[in-house]
Amino acid sequence: MNWRQTYLVLKREYLTRVKSKGFIWATILVPLGFAVLIGVGIFIAAWDSEIEFTIGVFDETGEVVATLQEIDEDRYVDYSDVPVDTLRAMVQREEITGYVIVNESHITENQNLELIYSGSGGLQLLTAVRSDFRESIRQERLRREDVSQDIRNIFESSVVIDSRRLSSEGEETDDDTEFLSVVGMFMGLIIFGAIFGYGGYIMRGVIEEKTNRIIEVIASSVKPIELLTGKMAGVGAIAITQFGIWILAFTGLSAIAGPLAASILGPDASTSQMSGELAQAEEQLPAILDIPTLETSLIVYFVIFFFLGYLLYSSLFAAIGSAADSETDTQQLMLPISAPIFIAYIIMFHAMQSPDSTLSVVGSLIPFFSPILMITRIAITEVPFWQTSTAILLMMLSFVGTMWLSAKIYQVGILSYGKTASFKDLAKWIKQS
Amino acid sequence: MSVTISVQNVSKSFGETKAVDNVSFEAEEGRIFGLLGPNGAGKTTTIRMINYITLQDNGKIFINDLPVSPKTQKLIGYMPEERGLYKKMKVGEQLIYLAQLKGLNKTDAKEKITYWLKRFNAYDWHSKVVGELSKGMSQKIQFISTIVHNPEIYIFDEPFSGLDPINSELLKEIIIELKEEGNTILFSTHRMEQVEQMCDDICLFNNGKVVLTGNLRQIKKDYGKNTVLLEFQGDSSFLDELDDVRINNRSTNFAEIRILNGLNPQEILKKAMQNSEIHKFQLVEPSLNEIFISTVGEDNIKMQQEAKLL
Repeated sequence: MNWRQTYLVLKREYLTRVKSKGFIWATILVPLGFAVLIGVGIFIAAWDSEIEFTIGVFDETGEVVATLQEIDEDRYVDYSDVPVDTLRAMVQREEITGYVIVNESHITENQNLELIYSGSGGLQLLTAVRSDFRESIRQERLRREDVSQDIRNIFESSVVIDSRRLSSEGEETDDDTEFLSVVGMFMGLIIFGAIFGYGGYIMRGVIEEKTNRIIEVIASSVKPIELLTGKMAGVGAIAITQFGIWILAFTGLSAIAGPLAASILGPDASTSQMSGELAQAEEQLPAILDIPTLETSLIVYFVIFFFLGYLLYSSLFAAIGSAADSETDTQQLMLPISAPIFIAYIIMFHAMQSPDSTLSVVGSLIPFFSPILMITRIAITEVPFWQTSTAILLMMLSFVGTMWLSAKIYQVGILSYGKTASFKDLAKWIKQS
Repeated sequence: MSVTISVQNVSKSFGETKAVDNVSFEAEEGRIFGLLGPNGAGKTTTIRMINYITLQDNGKIFINDLPVSPKTQKLIGYMPEERGLYKKMKVGEQLIYLAQLKGLNKTDAKEKITYWLKRFNAYDWHSKVVGELSKGMSQKIQFISTIVHNPEIYIFDEPFSGLDPINSELLKEIIIELKEEGNTILFSTHRMEQVEQMCDDICLFNNGKVVLTGNLRQIKKDYGKNTVLLEFQGDSSFLDELDDVRINNRSTNFAEIRILNGLNPQEILKKAMQNSEIHKFQLVEPSLNEIFISTVGEDNIKMQQEAKLL
């Protein structure tokens, strides 16, 4: 290895990329895209998207349908005086979505109710109908037993559990599991995106050198391993720059946004009649806008797993670039790389729910899954030190392996023109060099 | 005369195929050495090994008595057959980068690049992106990138393929000039006629093996003046009636006739005169193409070409 050559390659990779329009646009658009994505997510979640449907109720008791109509007048229609055959015909003609027959036995004997419906409406309809009927039948049973208002209140009361964390050192802290789960997911997602994004950068760079036919000119001055290392380091430096810009912009914006939002919302808050609430509202505002502080160790681990993940995968992306003859030919070669990343991505959602399950623990120790899974777990739960250190060690070892493999494929691949290599060719190249 | 490039019993296989098979030759200082042979004969692989891009399986290669290494790479200016430039980089930046990779520092690189760009009337392109240049222009930049670090050895792989006529001439001039300055030049081509005008020494490749190597003048002399160049007007069917000859370069009023079996050239002239009007009759040394065919054997070449088509 001649480090001067590697440094020259690094410098070129970095400077040409950092000045390119693509880099500037990506730096602006990626956070915007993220913001839009989150916005859309919140919008969909918050959107009152209740579907409309009508359920005919044939109620022999005459009591249940009244309660149902109290819950939703438009949804439940009293068809107790209509023959069942007509109700069936109405469902068939799609005048009503479905019907339910209620009689004494449902209230006294715990017999199952039956919804006859056209099949449209999906789970949301079924859930709504089930809970509405459960509620109405229960109320009717309570009414018949003539229970006191106190007992009814007990039935309607809700029980809340607050949680606090107690560390092994005996320190008790507020529990932000919900918040940390979201943080863990975001960190996993960022690493997921970064591996594909920066890996793709490297891959396209390698293909570009091949299609431009400059690679052999370069190869007459630089060893393939120097070129590969220089490229990986150059794109790595791009990643640091881009994240640096984002972090600076984010902290800058949130520093401005806090007081700004307070000054905009402040006057509004004062219009609320109760002046006592005003002070409280002002106190709460920064708390909403402030991100709850993350532990430094989490951020350090994020950086470690980010870079190990990048290193582990980027050399493989370079190898694939060298084996492909054009960018469109990379699809099938990408499979062995994208498969583990996507599997890790899928397990990540499980790890969010249950970060200490066997699947989560084992998955987070597998080097190709670690960058995404381990960081999600670290964010949410207390991961034993042996697990994080094992994962880091295994990733380092795997990196040596992938680098060795990639270097072999790369040094043959960059000089083979004309056709995209198959996996069989790749195996041959590895043996050959 | 000292030996600049020495290739000794070098072999290289790719899986089952032997691309280069026990090849040896020497290129001497201050001369132009031509590596000839049909496509796929192993020329490019040999050149890549000399440039330390591909490593040989067996044998040794020395540049100025040093085994090939990153150090010897810097002594060589190499223009590969598959050549190109970074399309999105500016001409100046790109040339500086390539010169730095060859070991020049930035100041020297700038100075040399300015000299060559001016020399080729290309200084105005300094800040242009390569993608904006015409093909001819970027070919000139490619030449500069090959020679800018002022090496003693120049290797061109199929240098004239894809060049426009103006740049072809320019490259010839550069090569002759470099030779006159005492540099060693090695180039490969599958078009024999280009070599005849330029090379001092040659090495003929076929099927990964060297079939003939040595001084071009000497080789031609050894073959003797047994080729007839005939220019005529009229019926050319007499050519088909000639025995023991091989006719190369036949067209409606020209034929290059190689006499294979001691036939008196005057016989050909007689026959030709009976049938047509003769404008030129000349006895010459055989062309390189003819030498190649007679060394390798006509059938051999045909078989190869057919194999390639399949």
